[in-house]
Parts: sequence; C-alpha cells; structure tokens
Amino acid sequence: MRSMPISLIPFCSPTLRPRSRPIARASLTFVAALLAGLIQSGTSSAQSYSDAPMFADKVASGDLPPVSQRLPEHPAIADMSEAGRYGGELDMLMASAKDTRMMVVYSYARLVGYDRDFKIVADICESYDVEDGRIFTFHLRKGMRWSDGKPFDAEDFRYYWEDVANNHDLSPTGPPSVLMVDGEAPKVEFPDKYTVRYSWSKPNADFLPALAGTTPLYIYRPSHYLKKFHAKYANADELAEKVKEAEQPSWAALHNRRDNMYKNDNPKQPTLDPWMLMTKPPSDRFVFERNPFYYRVDPRGRQLPYIDRVVFDIVDSKLIPAKVGAGEVTLQARNLRFDNYTFLKDGETRGDYRVRLWTSGSGSQVALYPNLNTNDEVWRKILRDVRFRRALSLGIDRHEINQVIYYGLAHESGNTVLPQSPLFDAGYANAWAGFDIDQANRLLDEMGLDKRDDAGIRLLPDGRTADILVESAGESTEESDVLELIRDSWAQLGIRLYVKPSQREVFRNRIFAGDSVMAVWTGLDDGIPTAETAPVEFAPTSQQQLQWPKWGQYRETMGESGTAADMPVAAQLLDLLQQWRDAETDETRTAIWQQMLRIYSDQVFVIGTVNSVPQPVVAKDFLHNLPETAVYNWEPGAQFGVYKPDTFWLDESATATAATN
Amino acid sequence: MFTYLLRRLIVMVPTLLVISFLVFAIIQAPPGDYLSTYMAELQSQGEAVDQAKIDFLRHQYGLDRSFLEQYAVWVGNLVQGDLGYSFEYGLPVNQVVGDRLALTIVVSVATIAFIWLVSFPIGIYSAVRQYSVGDYALTFLGFLGLATPSFLLALVLLYFANVKFGISIGGLMDPSFADAPWSWAKARSVLAHLWVPVIVIGTSGTAGMIRRLRANLLDELQKQYVVTGRAKGLSPAKLLWKYPLRMALNPFIADIGGLLPEVVSGAVIVSVVLSLPTTGPMLLDALRSQDMYLAGSFLMFLALLTVVGMFLSDLALAVLDPRIRLGAAATK
Repeated sequence: MRSMPISLIPFCSPTLRPRSRPIARASLTFVAALLAGLIQSGTSSAQSYSDAPMFADKVASGDLPPVSQRLPEHPAIADMSEAGRYGGELDMLMASAKDTRMMVVYSYARLVGYDRDFKIVADICESYDVEDGRIFTFHLRKGMRWSDGKPFDAEDFRYYWEDVANNHDLSPTGPPSVLMVDGEAPKVEFPDKYTVRYSWSKPNADFLPALAGTTPLYIYRPSHYLKKFHAKYANADELAEKVKEAEQPSWAALHNRRDNMYKNDNPKQPTLDPWMLMTKPPSDRFVFERNPFYYRVDPRGRQLPYIDRVVFDIVDSKLIPAKVGAGEVTLQARNLRFDNYTFLKDGETRGDYRVRLWTSGSGSQVALYPNLNTNDEVWRKILRDVRFRRALSLGIDRHEINQVIYYGLAHESGNTVLPQSPLFDAGYANAWAGFDIDQANRLLDEMGLDKRDDAGIRLLPDGRTADILVESAGESTEESDVLELIRDSWAQLGIRLYVKPSQREVFRNRIFAGDSVMAVWTGLDDGIPTAETAPVEFAPTSQQQLQWPKWGQYRETMGESGTAADMPVAAQLLDLLQQWRDAETDETRTAIWQQMLRIYSDQVFVIGTVNSVPQPVVAKDFLHNLPETAVYNWEPGAQFGVYKPDTFWLDESATATAATN
Repeated sequence: MFTYLLRRLIVMVPTLLVISFLVFAIIQAPPGDYLSTYMAELQSQGEAVDQAKIDFLRHQYGLDRSFLEQYAVWVGNLVQGDLGYSFEYGLPVNQVVGDRLALTIVVSVATIAFIWLVSFPIGIYSAVRQYSVGDYALTFLGFLGLATPSFLLALVLLYFANVKFGISIGGLMDPSFADAPWSWAKARSVLAHLWVPVIVIGTSGTAGMIRRLRANLLDELQKQYVVTGRAKGLSPAKLLWKYPLRMALNPFIADIGGLLPEVVSGAVIVSVVLSLPTTGPMLLDALRSQDMYLAGSFLMFLALLTVVGMFLSDLALAVLDPRIRLGAAATK
C-alpha cells in the first residue's frame, strides 16, 4: 500500500504532456485520500475489532452479537511481544478436582492486578484513583459484560455490598476483615452506573493488594444470576423449590453454593475470565471454552484470548511428572519440582516440548523456624538469645546444600527478599549466612553453652544434651535431604539434630500450642515485595508464622488469645509495621521496609538455606508468548497469572500435526 | 439346608451393625473433623479463614453434635438408602460414587478373570509335574510377583507401556475419551490401558492361588481312589479332571467372597499410583479429608459386598461339596 504513492510519481513528472494533468490531479487526490484513510485507520485501529473464527457461525446466525457490541467501549489493550493467532487447545494437568479454581488464578482477571513488575495497575476497571490512601474510586468500563452477555456495572458491586456482605444470613460474621479498618466499615457509594467508591476515615493499605490477590477479595458478584437465589429478590415459592431440589438446608446455603467465583465449579455462574467452565463436576476432565464477552484485546484489536479451549485433566499428583515427560501436556508448571528436571529434560525431543527454568519466588526453599514461643523454658531462653540463632545459621553449609541438591543452580541466602525485588540488598541475604564453624562455636561458648558431654555434644544449663527435635510436615523429601546435610554440619557445633516427620495438621497444631522447639517449612511466601506491599511477614501478625505463633495469634485475635510480643525486637517490628501503615510517601515506606528487613535478617528469626530455586516450566514447542525466564510465585504472581495466559497462542500448523500423531 | 441358610442370613445383620460402628469410630478417631482439615488446608495455602464461618458451617453440617447422635443419624439414613452428603464434592454420595463404580467393576472382573485364568493351569501343572523345572520356574515367577511391591511393578509397566506401545500414562483410557460416550474406539482404549492394572493387581493374587491349588491337588492325588482309578485303567486326563480337581476347586469358590472386596478396595494403592478413575483413590481422599459420609457409606457398601459375597460363596460351596452340605451329620 505504502509503495503506491511512489509508483504514481512518474505520472506527476513535469515531462508529462499537458492533457494528462487532469489524470495527475485525480491520482494525486486519490493518493491523498488513501493516505488520509491510512492515517485515520492507524489512529483508530482500536475501533475496528475482530474476534475468533470460532464465533463466526454464531455471529452470522445472530446467536451472538458482533464483536464490537460484545467488547466494552474501551477494552483493555494487552501488552505483548508477538501478536498471535487464534485457535488451538491448551492441555494441563491438575492434581485434584478442586483445582478448577486454578483457572481463576491463571486467568488473573482482577479489578486491579499486578503487572510483570509487580506494580498494581487497573485491569477490569478502566482506571482508579486513591486519595490519602483511604478513598478508592474505581471507574468501570462502559459496556463491559459478563460471560452470558449481561451488563457488568455498579449494580453488581451494590448487590455484593448490600445484599451479600451485609446480609445477616449470607455473611453472619459481616464483611471480610480486610474491609474493616480498626473495626470501621467502609462507606460504599455509587456516584453513577460505572463508578464505585470505597472510603474509610483511616488509610487501608491492604485493600488494593487484596483486590489484586491470587485468591482475591471480590467486591462484586454476578447479581443478575445470584438474585435468583436471594430471598429478597426471588419468588418465595420458586426459591423454596430450588432449595429443596438442590438438597440444601436453606436459601442462604443454596446461595453460597452457587456463589463461588473463586472455586469456579459452577458452569452456570457467569464469569469475567477469558475461559469459562463448560463441564459440570464431578469429572476427571474439565473443559473451559473461550468467553465471548471477554474485555481484553490485543494491540491489533483482536479480542483475546487467542486459545479456543483449555482442558484440565485431573490426575494423581505423583503421576504428573511422568505424564509431562511423556509429552501429554501443552503447558505445565504446577506439581513439577526441581528434582524432576533431569527426567523432563530427557524427554524433550520425544515429547516435542521444552523445559524452561523459572525462578521460585519463595524467600527460602527450606527454612528452619526456631519456636520463640515454645513451652520448654530452657529452650525458650536459649532460642531467644540471638547468638544461638546466629550460630545455628553460621553452622549451615549452604554451598554444600546448593551443590548437592540443586546442582548449584540455587542462590545461597538467608530467609529474605529475592534480588528481583526493588528492596533487595546483598547485606540481608548474606547476614549470618556464611559457613563459619569457628565463629559459631565461639558464639555458643560465649552464651554459656560451653560444657560438653563425652560425645562432644553441648549441655544445656539444666544438664540435658543439646538435642534439637525439628518437626516437619513429612511432605517433602527435599526437606529431609537438606536436614541431613544440616545435621552433619551442626554436629561440628556440638548440636544434635533429630527430625520428626509428622502430618500437616498435627505439625501445625503442635507449633501453635508451643509443644515443638523447631520446625522446618518453606521460607517467605512473598519474596518479591515492593515498598507498597504490607510488610506483614516481617512482624508477628499471624499464627501461621511458625517462629512466633502465639504473638501472631495475639495480633490476629485482637488480644483474645495468644500472648503479647514480649521481646523488645518483636515489639519494635510491630511498631514499624504500624508506621508503614501510617506512612504517606513512598520514600518513608521504603525506608521502613529497609529497617525491617535489616532487623529481621540481623536477628535471624528464621534460618534460611537457599532461594531462587529453579522451577521447571514445560511448554510445547508450538506455544508462544510464554516468557523464557520469569518469577514463579503464588502471591503475588498467581504462578502464570501475571504473565497473562490470554496472550499465549498456539502455532496452528504445529497443533494440527501434533493432533494427527 | 434351609435352616443353615436362614441362620447365615440372620447373622449378617448384627455383623453389618458392628462393622458400621467400627467404621464410624475409626473415621472419627483422628482429632478434628472435615472442617478442621479443610481449614488447615486453606491456611497452609495462605488463604484466610473466618473461624466464625467455620463454626457456622459446623453447625449446618451437624458436625457439632455428639458422636452417638451423628452415628445414629448416619445409620438411620443408610437403612433408608440415603448414603449421605459428601462435603468435599458438595454432592450426594451416590452421585459421586456412581460413575466410578462401573469402571471399578470392569477392572475387578478383569482382574479376577486374569487370576483364575493364570493360576488354574499353572496350579494344575505344578501339582502334576511336581518338582520339575517347570514347577520351580513358575512358582518362582509367582513369588516374584508376590514379593515385588505392586506400585513399583505398576510404575515399571506404565513406563514400559508408554515407551514401547505409546499408551498414555495412567488412567483407564486416553484423556480425550474421558467424557465421551461409549464407542468402539473408547472400548479399545480402555482395553489398551486395562492390562497394566490387571497384571499388577492380579500378580500377587495368582501366587497365592497357584500354591493353594497345587497343595490341594497334591493332597488329592495322594489319595487311595486315585491309585485305584489308575489301576483300573482310567486315562490320566480323565483321572485328573473328574475327581481330584473337583475337590481342589474348593479354594476357588471359597475365595469369591473375599476376592471381590479385596480387589475392589485392596487395589487402592495401585489405583492411586496409576491414577485410575475407580473408587480406590476416591476412598483414600475421603478418608484423608475426613469426608465422613462418603468414606463411611462407601466402606459400608464394601462391607455389604463382603458379607453377601461370603454368603454366596458359602452357598456355592455347599452346592459343590456334599461334605459341607451334610456337615455335622456326616461326622456323627
């Protein structure tokens, strides 16, 4: 097209005979019109949308409105490296039928979401404003619809707030705790059909991260669908019929059964995800088909997702690596562990796939948690002495662990944030993380544990030998392997390590009750925080934090159970957390984060071993737009979510040959 | 005969009652209940759980009632044919179990057929050609099958089947047929996948059967009437088939009662390893999450199968073996 004006230039040459000038003028105007048309279409290319061939028949017959009416007025435009093609089926394996929720996780369609740099951006909403950190206004997309074609607007938010969260039958405990700031409920307003406003009198720093979460806080519902099951809107007799038919005890139970956006097990429930569930549970195979009303388009105006269908096959988790190695999936990362890497790499040619290694986002792959709330008085005193924790940390040969178990591909570090986080500092990673037996022994002697028995094991003040019983949930052979290596190096410190494998629930209950001295588990859940992330993992805020369960419980239950943090350092961390919540600027927040990270690493509350362990991600050769390297993390990150699977595409010709094989 | 049958039928009822109590007690034995397991699972995944909501659900599901009350409710429902409600799946139990039962029966029947077909000729051969090379070799193979852990054998055969025959790993059919209606292609796929679980589950069963048949037949072959028959000129084949074998068939018939429930539930480990869509993995999951009604009702179903199976095999044995039929009267 662009070459045409050039080819017309000979006609405009001055050597033309006079009678061809009208022709020249006409062709010039024609060219000008063409150029104008090109320029115009260039700027408004977003206005001409196209959709998948899959819908061509339905649109032609009138079953589905044309794509321009199915998309919102201003659809979200996806950012991508290569524009893709429509078509194909993505096969994945899941370990349990409950994993239909993984579609919600991978789709990662959120009101606001994290982008690839883990900053929060608008996603479902067109834009949002935050005032003083306490007034949040969301501007929805005009014309956006649910997967069944019904409009998505402020009514869905109003239904949630007034008729679900504040309805005594549906939510007997009231709205979710993340919406309550110091017990104050938000003021929820709907200035117009496409605007929603949540406001509090104090800042709520957890609100946006909760909305962007992997297991999100939903402040909207498909009201047109759920009103059928709500006593306020449905015909009383019809509702009673439905309740009886579904064998539920009450209308509230029926409503709760049907209203499960995260669990995603109801094919009739409308959704905003790129693929909607078509199979009714129970089943061993769940098929998800493209959502005709999905709100995102690619830069060329083609409605996403590219892939027509996603299939989850439910298989026992232990068989998943074997099946992946045989080439039976299109994309898989879940249930694949690093120790499967060699097997998967071996099957690459036979299975037509490639194994990428992403980085795990955990703060530490295997971490030891000395229980600062243990009931054993002698051990409690010893564990609370920072020199003991530092000595234990110095007594771990992380280099050996890295080489032996992770082929040297992991990163030796304490339990702290990863290099991918803007808050990272090598000082935190290396604090007390070297391998120095002499210094460790010196610290222990300094502490007063200098007496040893005949076998060279140190004696505690009350005469017992220093035998640490590390409890584990018994789920990971990796943990046992690492602990064996640690046992050998701690023997040089005169400390004996015993491992007690248990069962997850028993393991947790013992820690919460203070019956255990030390536990082994994975490190930080979020190894890639930013200054905007709440530093809750670095202060005693939850019972689930295995190093200080009772202090965490005290905070969680607002003082009703557990014990108040009675170590000055822990109290200081709580104080800093509060300061972060009250902080107004990014600089203050970053400074507080740095302080907390420094204290946390220096105090060695959790003894980390290695992090940045590679996570195998298997993808068929014909799958495109999947990043080569990335961080694989649950929260934030939604494993594949932040990389937006709706932009993945399959090379049709390759898929066709694969299908015939 | 009639009183014998009647007595057997009447004894079944208290047996089932005792079994139901034991099943319920053992399922309830671990601390906590379905909701506490569910809560722990959510928490370990980092999802927040409202304690008040859990209490609310506990009351709704009736899990806050006393042990005896819950037991009474459950047994009462069972007797009326209501198997209860599965918390895990959110569906009535019979809907959850329904589909899987058909495939379980296919696998079980195929396995039992395999066990009989394999152990019968081998048992006879071992007895007739006692201490021969063949006898030793076959016995060795049988014991090898018995000694090898079934899951190990399953994994080896699975890998072998995939690499050599291109059969997809695990499951009872190619994944694309999973929800498709029955057709020849689907049936062929099932057959192609069936032989791995059948061989694995069957191998350990055959060893026992072979030895039993061999021992019984050897006993019979020593007896006087066999010598007499041979002296009188009966052909060896007829001599073998008409008399001693009938006696030696006792364990085959007697085992029916025990074999079916054993194959249905005893194949749990292999089913889990091979990811078969049978009742075994479902039972294991239900027990792990303390999904009381699903686990309890299914176990009661197995108990019923066992008891009825025992009864039927005793009946068959009584028909087959006059010694049992005439029972005490004969010894007097």
